Amino acid sequence: MFSFFNKKSSAKTAKDRLTIAIMSDRTGTDSFPFMDQMKAEIIEVVAKYMGVKDIDIKKEVIGDVEALSIDIELGDKTISAFK
Amino acid sequence: MGTVIAVISGKGGVGKTTTTANLGLGLAMNKKKCVVVDFDIGQRNLDMILGLENRVVFDIVQVMDGEVGLKQALIKAKLNENLHFLAASQTKDKTVLNSEKIKKLIDELKEDYDFVLLDAPAGIESGYEHTIEFADAAIIVVNPEVSSIRDADRAIGILDSKSQKVKDGGEVRKHLIINRINAKMVESGEMLAGDDILDILSIDLIGKIPEDQAIIEASNQGRPAILNTNSPAGQAYKRIADRICGNKIEIKDLETSSSGFFDKLKGIFK
Repeated sequence: MFSFFNKKSSAKTAKDRLTIAIMSDRTGTDSFPFMDQMKAEIIEVVAKYMGVKDIDIKKEVIGDVEALSIDIELGDKTISAFK
Repeated sequence: MGTVIAVISGKGGVGKTTTTANLGLGLAMNKKKCVVVDFDIGQRNLDMILGLENRVVFDIVQVMDGEVGLKQALIKAKLNENLHFLAASQTKDKTVLNSEKIKKLIDELKEDYDFVLLDAPAGIESGYEHTIEFADAAIIVVNPEVSSIRDADRAIGILDSKSQKVKDGGEVRKHLIINRINAKMVESGEMLAGDDILDILSIDLIGKIPEDQAIIEASNQGRPAILNTNSPAGQAYKRIADRICGNKIEIKDLETSSSGFFDKLKGIFK
């Protein structure tokens, strides 16, 4: 009875929900085993020239394009490159 | 040198162990020397699916710890002479695994067998990571259902970052099996279709398996469904095993219920 009024197929709903959930799962950084090392190396390079307060690296997936976004917060205090 | 294939899923209960048993047997039926290894330490199950639970004397942990030789612990499957089985430990837990010991064991198995199939534990923790660590290829089993597909994507992500092959700059081949397809539900739009799942996961498909009561019967008896020529799931496993052996076999449409009828007709005339 209920399904008679609900025209959108549940499989379509499942696909839409999954696509979004998986896209957001894949954005997580924990899929990079080398992330900590890469962070340390980037800090090392930047810290040669200016103070680095914090660094944040994210992998973003937008459609078929994967991008790496790196945010470096500058400050007078340099954080250690090798934690 | 044999090929190491990890059978993974992320989520539990989607048919990993059943798939491992059926494909192991299917490869053996293709005259390939095959060993199936239960990596689900603490929750041994592959032995029951293969009907070998009474034959287990030694397990994988004892082999890795050097308490017994590999040859002593390998069990010959009575179902096919080309198939051997190595049991998981039932008393220990997955923390006993370590990379060095696993590598040594897998290298030894690769010497003697054409195919080494590893039945991964559910989840994406250390037991899983150890299973995929030295794999050349992975078979990912999913059900057409959201939680299974999402968990599989996570498991694939770990496979692509933590396996030795990837760390060495290579790639682990990935093959998808969609298990428990209900044609009627796909037709009426109540179940995700294979193409939708492939869109989402973007990996290659190696086979589809219909929902089939014969799977439960097979596990009751400890005789994998691939031995039952009347079982649609058994036939599907046979086709996948043949594909792994390099035979070109078209992916069968299991998503329109009419095909089931024609298949039954064909089956009669075989």
